Amino acid sequence: MAKVYRSAVIRAPIETVWAAVRDFNALPRWHPAIATSEIEAGSAADRVGCVRRFTRKSDGGLLREQLLALSDTEHALTYNILVSPMPVANYVAGIRLIPITKGNFTFAQWWAEFDVTQGPEANTVADIGDNVFVAGFAALNQLLSKS
Amino acid sequence: MTKVFVSAVIDAPIGAVWARMRDFNGLPDWHPRFSRSHIEDGLRSDTIGCVRNFDIAGGAGTIRERLLTLSDSEYTMTYTILDAPLPVENYVATLKLYPITVGDQTLGTWSAEFKVVRGREDDVVDAVANGTFGKAFDVMNELLGRKR
Repeated sequence: MAKVYRSAVIRAPIETVWAAVRDFNALPRWHPAIATSEIEAGSAADRVGCVRRFTRKSDGGLLREQLLALSDTEHALTYNILVSPMPVANYVAGIRLIPITKGNFTFAQWWAEFDVTQGPEANTVADIGDNVFVAGFAALNQLLSKS
Repeated sequence: MTKVFVSAVIDAPIGAVWARMRDFNGLPDWHPRFSRSHIEDGLRSDTIGCVRNFDIAGGAGTIRERLLTLSDSEYTMTYTILDAPLPVENYVATLKLYPITVGDQTLGTWSAEFKVVRGREDDVVDAVANGTFGKAFDVMNELLGRKR
């Protein structure tokens, strides 16, 4: 089982960051790697069990992910992958935010656990950690950080 | 029940911050609000259940606290107040550190829950949140923070 953990400071209040991140259908609005997204079966994006169907900008690759948990008190969400062009299986991931009271910023954590089904595990771990998670933090900082 | 939560970025790797903060007998070594500390009954300071007996600097009294949890994997410490010159009951506090992988820094979080039994709640909250917890993170940054 491979594990990925990345974390960063987002220079914006937690309510602002959580508003962007909690919308399970909003990836194209803030993540630079994602082109389109829709929630399947006309479900609301904050309904636990809903499935988002989205595509990557790089190659149009399709992903389907299911929302497993969403908590406005913990500022946390958990999801798993149903379909992905990445060589992974049993993929479960989550985001959790913690307020930084000094400065009124946000600590963002993004983690995943999965099996790598093809190729070197370290490559997939680095790809997800840096190109998905850290790239997402950087985009949130650009979009939301206090000037 | 009153709750206090304070968090701050410390500009140093988590290993360095935890090495300083995990010593349950080490408060006076770095926290300016406290002086003199010993662990009662000759126990080691990483023994769960041990009691630290330490003074508030300037002769403002002695505090006794019992260690409830210490986790080197979770970078967490939990303790409760047994005696203190503070009008609180059922005081339980948790210090927890998180690694900030982007930039190799540390998030320090320190929280407490307690009941204020006398005086103004705001004064007690200020003493705990700013005087003790917030000050601790300021000092960690002064001691361990990178010079930029």
